[in-house]
Amino acid sequence: MDLLMTEEEVRFRNEVRAFLGTHLDEGLTRAERLNPSFLADPAVGLKWQAKLNHKGWVAPSWPKQYGGTGWTLAERYIFDQECERAGEPHFRGASIKMIAPVIMRYGNEAQKSFYLPRILNGEDVWAQGYSEPGSGSDLASLKTRAMLDGDQYIVNGSKIWSTLAHHATRMFALVRTADTGKRQEGITFILIDLKSPGITIRPIRSICGTHEFNQVFFDDVKVPVSDRIGEEGEGWDIAKYLLEFERGGAFAGGMLRAMLARLHRRASEPLPDGRRMIDDPLFMARFAEIATDVDANDMLELSAMSKVQAGGNPGSVPSSTMKIERSRIRQSIAELAASILGPDALRWEEHRPLHELPEESEIDEERKVASAVYFNSRSQSIFGGSNEIQLEIIAKTLLR
Amino acid sequence: MDLNYSDEQLLLKESAERFLKGRYDFEKRNTIIGSETGFDAGIWSEMADLGWLALPFAEENGGLGGGAVEISLIMEAIGRALVVEPYLASIILAGGLVEKLGSADQKAEILGGLIAGTSRLALAHAERQTGFDLGNITATAMKSADGYTISGKKPLVPGGSFADIFLVSATFDGTVKLFVVAADAVGLTSTQVKLVDGSRASDLVLDNVPVPASALLDGAADTLDEIEAAHDRANAALAFEAVGIMDALMDATVAYTKERVQFGKPLAAFQALQHRMAEMAVKCQEARGSALLATLSVDAPRVTRIRGVSGARAKIGKVSRSVAQEAIQLHGAMGFSQEMPIGAWFRRLYAIENTFGTTADHLKRYGEIVRDPAMLSGSLLREPV
Repeated sequence: MDLLMTEEEVRFRNEVRAFLGTHLDEGLTRAERLNPSFLADPAVGLKWQAKLNHKGWVAPSWPKQYGGTGWTLAERYIFDQECERAGEPHFRGASIKMIAPVIMRYGNEAQKSFYLPRILNGEDVWAQGYSEPGSGSDLASLKTRAMLDGDQYIVNGSKIWSTLAHHATRMFALVRTADTGKRQEGITFILIDLKSPGITIRPIRSICGTHEFNQVFFDDVKVPVSDRIGEEGEGWDIAKYLLEFERGGAFAGGMLRAMLARLHRRASEPLPDGRRMIDDPLFMARFAEIATDVDANDMLELSAMSKVQAGGNPGSVPSSTMKIERSRIRQSIAELAASILGPDALRWEEHRPLHELPEESEIDEERKVASAVYFNSRSQSIFGGSNEIQLEIIAKTLLR
Repeated sequence: MDLNYSDEQLLLKESAERFLKGRYDFEKRNTIIGSETGFDAGIWSEMADLGWLALPFAEENGGLGGGAVEISLIMEAIGRALVVEPYLASIILAGGLVEKLGSADQKAEILGGLIAGTSRLALAHAERQTGFDLGNITATAMKSADGYTISGKKPLVPGGSFADIFLVSATFDGTVKLFVVAADAVGLTSTQVKLVDGSRASDLVLDNVPVPASALLDGAADTLDEIEAAHDRANAALAFEAVGIMDALMDATVAYTKERVQFGKPLAAFQALQHRMAEMAVKCQEARGSALLATLSVDAPRVTRIRGVSGARAKIGKVSRSVAQEAIQLHGAMGFSQEMPIGAWFRRLYAIENTFGTTADHLKRYGEIVRDPAMLSGSLLREPV
């Protein structure tokens, strides 16, 4: 048992570090610093994706045969840590981390060869179509309906909280194709071209001032049967598979550590009154507590990774623990970072994206975005299976 | 990087748990802590037979060459079973220092009996004013004709009431040194003290205690550095003891709420209680991660060691307290009674929070380390040596 990298992994880390040093330019990292949201501003994300695509590093978790890197888990972990340290824009959203694994696992050959390359090169950007106005945590109650009509489905209904749907070209959606039997059995997984007639997208501005979420309406939208993934009624199993990727499929430790390091930088600079928060024992106590949380989360990630490497799986209690703790840590860092703004916390810059505004010092820009980052962080414990759902999963395992 | 236990480690874990489950149940423990000595010589010699007392020592010193991970497995089992015999104080802390600081002769003489279970050590270092500053020592050693004379007060010596040999720290020529002092030495008074968790310690007073020249353990450039490192090893061990206790509290709480029926259904059927137990499980998981980092840091360079060890003591202090409080609450009045082990686990965790540094002390020590941006932002993965 040890925490040691191999010589090969050290070499790999240095290669990644060198690449990031050369290609991840200040314009990109500044835009990400000024982004309060979970995912990068799409224009910024696509720019970085194009650079990585050139190198073949867009999709660290994909197998080589589909254009991924074919890296080991340890290499993916190291890559993630380095990218976060360097401050890369978070562009790997629904396309790379969610729909792609589903297409690889459940898609047919035609679907794989058409969709996967378009994800890698950024031609397609996907939005998620799971939640509905009446179906959140209780996803199986969804009502958006797809009626089979010859070789196409006619879709009617509405999906909500679709991240960046207004920039997306396509949506993967869970739709109801039957009302008989268990309600999970009537759900089907389809792919919808967002340029299809009958689609309306309504923006939802979040409490952090950014337009990232949308409600999408379907009014007799035609979807070819060939854009169904798996069989009719198989949607629920596919959805569960996908949520595993949303939940435990990625590492968050690098991002949390990078957030904490940014807070440390800001706390080391004098405030307008000359004090430095890093000299304040109350601040440092809270800061140090959060740092111990980040260390513990890192160890859980590495333990889970070790289990997977040895052919096992992390188990539901550790996976849900990580989902809960990551959200809490991110929220507590954002909250602490906002708590040291002083009266500047009252200023509110409405313009989005913030990186379009004239450049200021790094510290001033960090201060400018801190309130919005805190507001946005509240979503962490809601999306991808809320923390209450995670507690249900843990309780079910404990008490069975 | 690999955080999976090896097959041998899993066997050790299983055998430790089985031994204590069979030989050290809650009733047996109550008998021991109610006895005059607060110690069971039979259990101690069985631990010797199982190789536990030899475990951390190098093979050349008669040990089994076990590392921090092996020790952590024993400590986890000790936590669950609430063992009061001084495994940590005598073997890990004091024994470890003899191995680090002793000459070949000293090691042969002292470790032989320790490993055989016929002799027990205790480290008498901290004093009333020492607090968390291990260098703040006022006991003194003076050169005498054929050795040294030691004077000072050492309160709450861990494992002191079971020891026949003390390692006593004292300033000599302006630096802290460690001396081997027999429990029956002239001028030494050891008074047994009952501790909050049912275990024992001793208040030690040394009044011009003469020791021979061979009593000086002087094998390190800086004795204090070694004492600090030994306390970090002990703290990593305590972290896993706490993890063992937390899991035991978790298991007991789940079992109790499944069994206890109120309002016509088991307590475990109430969602309000289910979520509280799930939150306990989250904390148990986190504590295990922290304790593992501490364990894998004890042999690392000093700052990395502190980051792992004090970070774990800080984190585990906080979450273990919460788990123990919740366990009592979810047991209702039964959790408040001494008839159940819940309260004993609760009190042992409280003792751990106040042993070798408090939770706040460790948070502060950790905070000083992570003020360094390189330490803060660096990965937990390490470069090969």
